[in-house]
Amino acid sequence: MTDQPPAPPEPQERARIYDQGFRRYHGSRTGVGGAVRSLVKHSLRQALGIGRSARYKLVPLPIIFMAFVPAIGLIALAALIPVGTEDFLPTYAEYYALVVAALYLFAGLVCPELLCDDRRTGMLGVYLASPLDRPRYLLGKALSVMLLLLVVTLGPPLLTLIAFTLQNEGPDGFGQWITVFLRILASSAVVGAIYGAVGLAISASTDRRVVATATILSVIPGSAIVTDILVNDGGMPPVLRLANVMFLPRALVHRIHAESGGWPLGDNPTWTLWLAFFGWLALSTTWIWFSYRDLVVQR
Amino acid sequence: MPDPTPTAQRPRTNGTDESGGSLVRAESLVKRYGSVPVLDDVTFTISEGITGLLGANGAGKTTVLGLILGLHRPNGGRLEVLGRDPWHAGPEVRARVGYAPEHHTLPPDLRAAEFVRHVAELHGIPPEDAKTRSSDALWLVELGEERFRPMGTMSTGQRQRVKLAQAIAHDPEFVLLDEPTDGLDPTQREVMLELIRSLHRDFGMNIVLSSHLIDEVERVCDRVVIIGGGRTMAEGTVAELRGTAAETVTAEIDADADRMAALVAALRASGLTVRVDGRRLVLSVDHDESDAAIKATLDELRDRCLDHDLGVIRLGRRRLSLEDVFLEHLR
Repeated sequence: MTDQPPAPPEPQERARIYDQGFRRYHGSRTGVGGAVRSLVKHSLRQALGIGRSARYKLVPLPIIFMAFVPAIGLIALAALIPVGTEDFLPTYAEYYALVVAALYLFAGLVCPELLCDDRRTGMLGVYLASPLDRPRYLLGKALSVMLLLLVVTLGPPLLTLIAFTLQNEGPDGFGQWITVFLRILASSAVVGAIYGAVGLAISASTDRRVVATATILSVIPGSAIVTDILVNDGGMPPVLRLANVMFLPRALVHRIHAESGGWPLGDNPTWTLWLAFFGWLALSTTWIWFSYRDLVVQR
Repeated sequence: MPDPTPTAQRPRTNGTDESGGSLVRAESLVKRYGSVPVLDDVTFTISEGITGLLGANGAGKTTVLGLILGLHRPNGGRLEVLGRDPWHAGPEVRARVGYAPEHHTLPPDLRAAEFVRHVAELHGIPPEDAKTRSSDALWLVELGEERFRPMGTMSTGQRQRVKLAQAIAHDPEFVLLDEPTDGLDPTQREVMLELIRSLHRDFGMNIVLSSHLIDEVERVCDRVVIIGGGRTMAEGTVAELRGTAAETVTAEIDADADRMAALVAALRASGLTVRVDGRRLVLSVDHDESDAAIKATLDELRDRCLDHDLGVIRLGRRRLSLEDVFLEHLR
């Protein structure tokens, strides 16, 4: 019998280094689309204060809550009152009258946050040294503003629709439900687009956030006051009310939901309301583009 | 639209692609802002390695960087970056270039790691990879422990390093650094220059270093492009720019203007290259830099001074620096 040395154990696992430190990158790249997505994601986080200290969350979150409070109240009320007596509840179109202050406050907060800060902090120079060019940068910012405004324009009525449906007080039948859903979607887009466009145009004119916010919060209700005075006291033609950027989207929302109303623009033909809407969008877009086209960027 | 082409399969600037081995090629470049000319007939080539873009403040260095990034349209001339016209292919060019701006203002409430990650994503790195690379880049610039600090709480030196990290996180084909040592104390400056050297040495990164500080360009760069008065004043390796006159003999002579002129004429007649700076003469020595060449120059100077009965106040030898070359071109 011979004594043989025991065979060395088979290595069960090879040693690995997991943290290799900085090295060259050989993976795939996302292209310009990835740059726009990253810009939108970063802008949403910035506006909502995500990843920032608590003080950056103090303003946006209460405003979002303000926009949802009437919806929550309506849902609670609808659950408490007897079926068939809910006619006094506001319609989907009328809902926007309850939250108009929250909507334009949110626009006044978000738009300057996303445009003015980039110019003040040198981020615009960093963005333009990336695959983003000025049109794509502005497109990304407009998308971000639109998505943020949809939180307050789409969220509450959609919540109401879903809650009413679950309470058996929603639209009758699937077809009717889809119609209401699409109307809510279109209404939210209209309200978000016009407040967002005006907010961005004003924010494109200054790099001071406070100035931009104050201007937005003055111009939107100011347009209602000035047009009202000009038409009612100044004897100017009622068509001038189309310049009332505060109530124009509300009037359009009533038309989208096929309802009468939409004071004080309720008497204007629908086509004039749409013309005014696209006019505001075109004016704002042109203003933003000319503000940024020749802007000297800090580098 | 995702671009699934791995970096390794992309055309690299290794001398085999359409750019003929150069990263940047500028020919007779002209740039005006309104009626104010900033660049007028600038011609240079930037190849692999570390290239210094040297010029006084306001010489147009940042404008050159802006043109390379495709942010300005040249008013004349031709510019190719990685084989493309940056004005027409700006996004494609910028995706392959890293840029650290000169200004120190960065979003104060944003954490360094988030900022670097965001810039990496902007340059096409997918989010998960961007997170890892942001962390790795910040560790590389020695900010690993500080990476979750808001940038507003960082010192100038730390912010300069954050800017360097965001410029390299997406693994660009070359990096443009605009005054990367601006605002740094001597120790921080040394650390930054060593970081820049290590990026090329350890990772093969090509770097364009824009600076008005001659000594740091001389210490770090393989090649130099000197810009002044809107033109390219000189271009080449530091050795090439020093030319055949790598060393000089300087002499301070006790003479009036007429006798100094006679002495200079005599020295030039003997085949020496002489520059006059007041009562100081700077004599270039041939590139062999041997003691024999120095001795021959000193002997010649002594003999000609004796011929003209002139006294020598001070005599010395000095190695020609990039500063001498720069000042010579400014004259």
